[in-house]
Amino acid sequence: MTEPILEARGLTKFFPTKRGTVRAVDDIDFRMAPGDTLGLVGESGSGKTTTAQCVVGIYAPTTGDILFHGQSIGATAAKRSKELKREIRIVFQDPGSSLNPKRTIKQILATPLAVHHLASGREQVARISALLERVELPPAEYLYKHPQSIGGGEKQMVAIARALATDPSFVVLDEPTSALDVSVQAKIINLLLGLQKEMGLTYLFITHDMSLMRNVASRVAIMYLGKLSEIANTAEFFQMPLHPYTKMLLSSIPVVSDEEESLKPAKGISRGEIPSPVNIPPGCSFHSRCPSRLDVCDKIDPATVEVAAGHVVRCHLYPGSQERTS
Amino acid sequence: MPNASLLLEIRDLHVGFRIFEGHLRVLAGVTLWVAEGERVGLVGETGCGKTTTVKSVLRVLPIPPAIVTSGEILYRGRDVLRMHRRALHVLRREELTAIFQDPLQSLNPVFTVGSQLRDIVRDSMRTPEGRVLSRREIEARCIQALEETGMPDPERIMSNYPIQLSGGMRQRVCIAEALSTTARLLLADEPTTNLDVTIQDQILRKLDRLVDQKGSSVLMITHSMGVVRDLTQRIYIMYAGSIVETGPTRQLLASPKHPYTQGLMASVPRLTGRGVSEGIPGRIPNYLEPPPGCRFHPRCPHRMPECSVEAPPMSDVGADQRAACYLYRRSPS
Ligand SMILES: Nc1ncnc2c1ncn2[C@@H]1O[C@H](COP(=O)(O)OP(=O)(O)OP(=O)(O)O)[C@@H](O)[C@H]1O
Ligand SMILES: Nc1ncnc2c1ncn2[C@@H]1O[C@H](COP(=O)(O)OP(=O)(O)OP(=O)(O)O)[C@@H](O)[C@H]1O
Ligand code: SF4
Ligand code: SF4
Ligand SMILES: [Mg+2]
Ligand SMILES: [Mg+2]
Repeated sequence: MTEPILEARGLTKFFPTKRGTVRAVDDIDFRMAPGDTLGLVGESGSGKTTTAQCVVGIYAPTTGDILFHGQSIGATAAKRSKELKREIRIVFQDPGSSLNPKRTIKQILATPLAVHHLASGREQVARISALLERVELPPAEYLYKHPQSIGGGEKQMVAIARALATDPSFVVLDEPTSALDVSVQAKIINLLLGLQKEMGLTYLFITHDMSLMRNVASRVAIMYLGKLSEIANTAEFFQMPLHPYTKMLLSSIPVVSDEEESLKPAKGISRGEIPSPVNIPPGCSFHSRCPSRLDVCDKIDPATVEVAAGHVVRCHLYPGSQERTS
Repeated sequence: MPNASLLLEIRDLHVGFRIFEGHLRVLAGVTLWVAEGERVGLVGETGCGKTTTVKSVLRVLPIPPAIVTSGEILYRGRDVLRMHRRALHVLRREELTAIFQDPLQSLNPVFTVGSQLRDIVRDSMRTPEGRVLSRREIEARCIQALEETGMPDPERIMSNYPIQLSGGMRQRVCIAEALSTTARLLLADEPTTNLDVTIQDQILRKLDRLVDQKGSSVLMITHSMGVVRDLTQRIYIMYAGSIVETGPTRQLLASPKHPYTQGLMASVPRLTGRGVSEGIPGRIPNYLEPPPGCRFHPRCPHRMPECSVEAPPMSDVGADQRAACYLYRRSPS
């Protein structure tokens, strides 16, 4: 891999709560090359947003580190340099609640420009208009509107424009389209892919839609209960999924044509329940639902092994993965 | 075509909402039916009126602001819109079950999940001999229903209030409720939107099996074309308050005829990974002043002069497949 733009090393984030410690992100490693789109996929509560929040500095890791261009940035935003905050931006899942309803779109977009001293006065208005044009919202029509008077898709466009205002190189997209319709989703995805090319952006793209992932990500990482169970390049990932959870995930995708049906692995019947992140079972955390589980699986936590160049998996079925007792 | 075994029949339903700014004309002549034992899907983009349709059937629309301006809803031939309160109550308790999109609406915030589940099981379940269940049997059935939806720790969930659960968990409680009754018609409004695909799959299969066992019918509402394809035999596509296309599910998804359905299918990201389409230009109309004629005409790439004059009637476009679009009109013979 070329010099990574972002790297997570043993990234861990626990939340102490009254009912015990939530192991939201538990010792994960990944690297991203510039221009990559890493798709982070996993079920609800698996720790995707927490990972994203560590990357943008909403939380400091409990242990482990995040490196940006080789430099440690594992601190909360309050301690990060302005320069770094300009470089790494985030678009949240819910476009409705992430935009202040009392402010106009012009005011919303002016804030990052002012905070980062990027533009003021007449130049600021010009920059804002350019940003709106970039996300295909005609400035004349949208500058003075409030978020509640525009549709969900348009709100998400504004949120994207706000993220791009500081000319970042790295953008976290936390389920940017899951609250939206397929036809609106299509528009936003096209826009994001276009902007990526144009501005040379690197995306950490969080979603639970595998079909969408297939079309946008260059690499895919699968998260289950705070850990990464498999990472691979997208094409290889869909051709040769290895981890039993990945197979179950892929075989459960509802598709719309026979052609796609034939691409799915044989049905891995999903059963059992998702354990609570406060009370993670010993051994491999997937063992309660795993159709291929071995005797060791409920005793020893598998280690991560690289089975092929750039394809890592965390499962006892793949040799070299029997260290680490927990 | 409607026949003797019809369970639910909605005929030309018009429903609006009176709000400060005026009259929102949402449902503009919805016609659909569900036969005994049939699984039917209803899909369409957000705001097209799917939930309004289901709420009309259950008569749970808030009136006002809602008004049913015309149309009929027949359940086994009986007019639901004219039913008296007591008959309606019996209908809801014994014949219909609904899983709502927003589960907080159907769960009572002041009672624990357990007490609500127990009530439902007590009211609707009987042993094979027709006896009322004992307290212990009720408890076991509730826990089993929760387990069936993949919920961790059912005993704890039973003692929680709805507010203490995550969205996905609440949704599963509602599914558990639906699974524990013996209704003849299940109205499922986006039952699995908050869940991940493996749990979704697990629950939908369970639902499917249960419906099989009981021989009930399902009207399944969802955004997910994949889910309807897996679970339903027939499908209705809704756009801006009316049905624009209907037919056997797989056939229709493989060869959509209405321009809206075509746009929708082109927007669905595919596992084949051929990229993402541009989406349908424009957006769903403002219901205060919906476009005249075909409500899709401002967004339609094939629009013709007559499209903005009068709403197009349904035309046959394939075996049992029909679309409301002037492109398929038969020349008068
Ligand atoms: N501030 C917090 N305090 C306590 N627990 C938290 C906090 N934030 C997240 N968690 C818990 O950490 C786990 C991971 O949550 P996270 O939001 O990262 O999941 P996610 O993968 O983004 O899920 P979703 O797909 O539902 O958005 C969950 O069990 C969640 O309840
Ligand atoms: N109580 C209400 N008062 C005013 N307008 C309403 C009310 N309920 C629904 N509407 C309007 O009716 C239209 C249809 O809403 P409905 O909830 O039926 O859509 P839907 O197809 O279920 O959408 P979604 O996929 O987002 O659930 C929307 O424009 C909505 O704003
Ligand atoms: S380690 Fe064992 S239980 Fe875990 S995924 Fe692999 S086979 Fe299944
Ligand atoms: S009736 Fe006209 S506007 Fe409507 S979908 Fe058909 S061609 Fe398009
Ligand atoms: Mg999240
Ligand atoms: Mg709805």
